[in-house]
Amino acid sequence: MRSPASHAIRMALILILLSVSVFPIYWMVVTSLTSSANLFADTPQLVPDPAQAFNYADTFSHTGVLIWLRNSAIVAIGTMVLSILLAILPAYALSRFRFRGKGALGFLLFATQMLPEAMLVVPLYAIFANLALLDTLGGLILANTAFTVPVITWILKGAIDGVPMEIEEAARVDGCSRIGIVLQVVVPVVAPTLAAASVIAFFHGWNEYVFAQTLVSSQDLRTASVGLASFVGELSTPIHTVMAIGVMYTLPAVLFYLMVQRYVVAGMTAGSVKG
Amino acid sequence: MTDAALRQPQLSRSPIARGTARLDGNPWTPYLFAAPVVLYLLLFQGYPLLRELMLSFTQTSLLTPQTSHFVGMRNYAELAARPDFWRVIGVTALYTAICVVLAIALGLGAALLLDRPFRGRGIARALVTIPWAAPPVAVATVFAWMLNAQYGIFNHWLKLLDLEIGYESWLDNPRLALPAILFTTIWQIFPFSSVVLLAALQGVSEEVREAAQIDGADKLSIFKVAVWPTIRPTVALLVLFVTIWSLRRFDLIWVMTQGGPIGATKTLVIELYTRAFVARELGEAAAVGMVGLSIALVVTVVYFWATQRAERAEGRS
Repeated sequence: MRSPASHAIRMALILILLSVSVFPIYWMVVTSLTSSANLFADTPQLVPDPAQAFNYADTFSHTGVLIWLRNSAIVAIGTMVLSILLAILPAYALSRFRFRGKGALGFLLFATQMLPEAMLVVPLYAIFANLALLDTLGGLILANTAFTVPVITWILKGAIDGVPMEIEEAARVDGCSRIGIVLQVVVPVVAPTLAAASVIAFFHGWNEYVFAQTLVSSQDLRTASVGLASFVGELSTPIHTVMAIGVMYTLPAVLFYLMVQRYVVAGMTAGSVKG
Repeated sequence: MTDAALRQPQLSRSPIARGTARLDGNPWTPYLFAAPVVLYLLLFQGYPLLRELMLSFTQTSLLTPQTSHFVGMRNYAELAARPDFWRVIGVTALYTAICVVLAIALGLGAALLLDRPFRGRGIARALVTIPWAAPPVAVATVFAWMLNAQYGIFNHWLKLLDLEIGYESWLDNPRLALPAILFTTIWQIFPFSSVVLLAALQGVSEEVREAAQIDGADKLSIFKVAVWPTIRPTVALLVLFVTIWSLRRFDLIWVMTQGGPIGATKTLVIELYTRAFVARELGEAAAVGMVGLSIALVVTVVYFWATQRAERAEGRS
């Protein structure tokens, strides 16, 4: 059916594709492990130099990177937990009930996808000032969740659509309340999709920049995205230090993603939006 | 016969809601379930949006937001009268269009490459999605370094190829900055469309594909007959989402160029942020935001209108 030549061409194309996908991440690692002298050499150093690992120790002590990563983790985990808590019941309602206003709820969830974060920064700033949420990580979690909840709700609705009704009826006969059914029967069945949705919400919180840049001003509440961006155009910090921070910010996310990507892909496919 | 089944007839006459009749019949349940999220979104998205709309009809300074003057449509009229605002619209349209075409085309190419089994397919599919997992600010930082005029690896490679374009400063050159930003954006987002399209390709019917092969069709014809009809709705949905995301994108562009040099990479959202936090004119910034939102709304309405028309046409054929 297939000639060896076309197979070889396909493999070559796949290799090019993978190289392009991985190279910038690899280059971040290489640069973070390059000596100051080699950074500006005529021929760039193409492989990481383990002897330069002390650069990471220097980065820990000279920058706030550990605090930044801690703050990003708090925001990411908070966004994840709050998104899931808020999304489960509406996802179930969208999947299992016919009710007046269902279309409006669907539209509300979709409409949020159209609003740029940068557009809501100014009014949110004013609202947060009134609610004493400015300059708090809790405020960032609340702002981020507004953008993740709609997506998570759609993904979970798609998963619940695939759960047979009979499972619920057995619990119903046993006299379970509706919320009890959702939590004890439906949630365990859609657990893989729930995990995928959690990852998506976590990443949103981990990556977010605009809100973290404008709604928080304290140095010790900076997230890694804001900390890293603060070096751009600032010339006194050597590039291998900046890249070391980039690696510490990127690599955990990428490795975590590689561990769970199977579930994420399956979850996204399950929740593929149907109108 | 459960008690829920007995109540069923009365349920279908309920004015508010019909629960899934075979389960319990409290018509208020879906509303109770949806209430928290609706309140949440109204508070953190609806209300700020309303305030932004009101703000766009005022002259308000970031420094003294208490003294806000109502100016009606003046902000909008001034935007329309300024040539540099039309340039922002043009840059936004170009950026969005190229993102949509290339991110989806490359995503489709990658999906077709990775669709049929080969040794190591699972690992290849995982690796190809890495860019999508990397934080945009980190991506912007490493690309800015790779694009550095003197020490960047890109210019080093260009010199090796002995092209006449070594030593170019990509992000400081008005002609090269937008292509550099586009390259970075597409690198980051094409994996998303390849993942979604890989899922869609599983729906391609083997019978149709084999029938076309037996008829001696070439690869392009097989694609047209067997693959394209199956994935077309997914491609349409991707067009919508990539468009909306491109209109929203801020972090990557801001970190790499802040909209410069001389506005070459200034999209609507960058313009909005610059007006709010650099020029400190909140009213004008809000008007820019409303223009951007209107464009997103028009795109969405067109998408739903077009998909419904396509469905009706298929229903007739």
